Amino acid sequence: MSLIAFLGALELGLIFGFVALGVYLSFRVLDFPDLTVDGSFPLGAAVAAVWIVGGGNPWLGTGLAMIAGAMAGTVTAWMAVKLKILNLLASILSMIALYSINLRIMGRPNIALLTEPTIFVPLESLPVSRYVAFPIAIGIGLLFITFLLNRFLNSEAGLAMRATGENSRMASGNGINTSVMVVAGMALSNALVALGGALFAQSQGSADVTMGVGTIVVGLAAVIGGQSLIPGRSILVATLACLFGSILYRLMVAVALNADFIGLKAQDLNLVTAVLVGLALVLPKLRRRRRVA
Amino acid sequence: MIELNNIHVTFNPGTPLENHVLRGIDLRIESGEFVTVIGGNGAGKSTLLNVLAGEVLAEPGQVKIGERDVTRLPAFKRADLVARVYQDPLAGTCGTLTLEENMALACARGRRRGLRSALDTRLRGRLQENLARLGLGLENRLHDSIGLLSGGQRQAVSLLMAALQPMEILLLDEHTAALDPRIASFVLTLSADIIREQQLTALMVTHSMRQALDVGDRTVMMDQGEVAFDVKGEQREGLDVADLLKLFERARGQEVDDDSLLLG
Repeated sequence: MSLIAFLGALELGLIFGFVALGVYLSFRVLDFPDLTVDGSFPLGAAVAAVWIVGGGNPWLGTGLAMIAGAMAGTVTAWMAVKLKILNLLASILSMIALYSINLRIMGRPNIALLTEPTIFVPLESLPVSRYVAFPIAIGIGLLFITFLLNRFLNSEAGLAMRATGENSRMASGNGINTSVMVVAGMALSNALVALGGALFAQSQGSADVTMGVGTIVVGLAAVIGGQSLIPGRSILVATLACLFGSILYRLMVAVALNADFIGLKAQDLNLVTAVLVGLALVLPKLRRRRRVA
Repeated sequence: MIELNNIHVTFNPGTPLENHVLRGIDLRIESGEFVTVIGGNGAGKSTLLNVLAGEVLAEPGQVKIGERDVTRLPAFKRADLVARVYQDPLAGTCGTLTLEENMALACARGRRRGLRSALDTRLRGRLQENLARLGLGLENRLHDSIGLLSGGQRQAVSLLMAALQPMEILLLDEHTAALDPRIASFVLTLSADIIREQQLTALMVTHSMRQALDVGDRTVMMDQGEVAFDVKGEQREGLDVADLLKLFERARGQEVDDDSLLLG
């Protein structure tokens, strides 16, 4: 693998780190398997792209993308909590609805951003290559968001959210409005995923309505893979493990697709993803079984 | 004071599974009173507790806790008035959260929860002091996830957690039933001590007639969703299990047919 390919994979891994944090929040903290992310990732990209192409401030566009993602998460949570639709099913409904909504927002299947003033434009005038500058900038942003998420999850409200996902009966017995917690958590989760989508569109140069396919699987790969490699219950360890998982996943995909001797091509990406997630799910169990034996 | 007026609860109304669990319960509990509730399977003990906790709403009926009418309030909205320990030691705590995180959760029962850090040095000190009274060495295990504790330890912690914040009533739902006898008696003694020290109003559901007489200062026996009898003060002094059975027969005109009540 060339250095450029490595840095590209690192950049993608960092962008999907935001997705991993979002999936960690829904899947692990709230125990809510959320397929909305397949729709909220391109939603973030679509909102940011349309805003930027329309001449808007790219930072504001990225913020709007997060708000749109939060709204998508809110709708999913509302369906699950108030309409009592099974949580997985509610998220599938959101996902499918978002496909149409994203097409409506963009007005066409894809929008090019290569020549537009994205939030990354200031980096292009730096003396270092874009392939180095982008991952560093995204990595700093990701660490900052991870820090904020840690602060939140260790606050009184964050603890209430964790209790809601773990033992909702005990949570309401202690005066926690579990419905509000699920809605807030899902909003936050999808805001993070949409942020990932907005950054993806701006760094890769386009927003595409189909770019969300498999986002949940990539997020799960990062969360499950990362946490099985770096176990540990504390929020800090768990969130960093998710980021590590996200980067590792991208590197493994890059290796698999770039190594000529394996013979895999770009179109095999989803197959590779499925195999990697499957391994991440099974390997910890095998390890445990061997320890028992 | 706690007031239950003509409480009815029907599960699955209008279906073939309809079950009229509570049939007109009237109960007044004075402040500082420790009531034990006894009754066979299906007598409605747990439902009565759930009505007080807000997990089941009475229809019709009226529930007053303190001066407030809480009949329609869901559990989370009356958490400032009601604290609870469940039968299942796993139910009252969050297994993957640490000991201190679980206790911090309980410290905020019924309060607004903001973005302040849930734990600080002062709170840790208070929690350690609290845990030390158990004599189980848990004060040195604040950072352990609570899932590592035994069932008995978890139940003792649940009890401490319930008592961390002020309340109008403490609900104990057969909270020693799932424990081995030695730990059960430890948790029961601890409950009685805490209730006396903090002068709590408490309602304890139990399966054991012996236990119902050993602690508390009033005993209510339930049968088929009604109060079979209610004894306190002099009337209750010196009663033993056989007397309870006689009281029951006199009140209901039938013999106790639930072995578990006699074996407990």
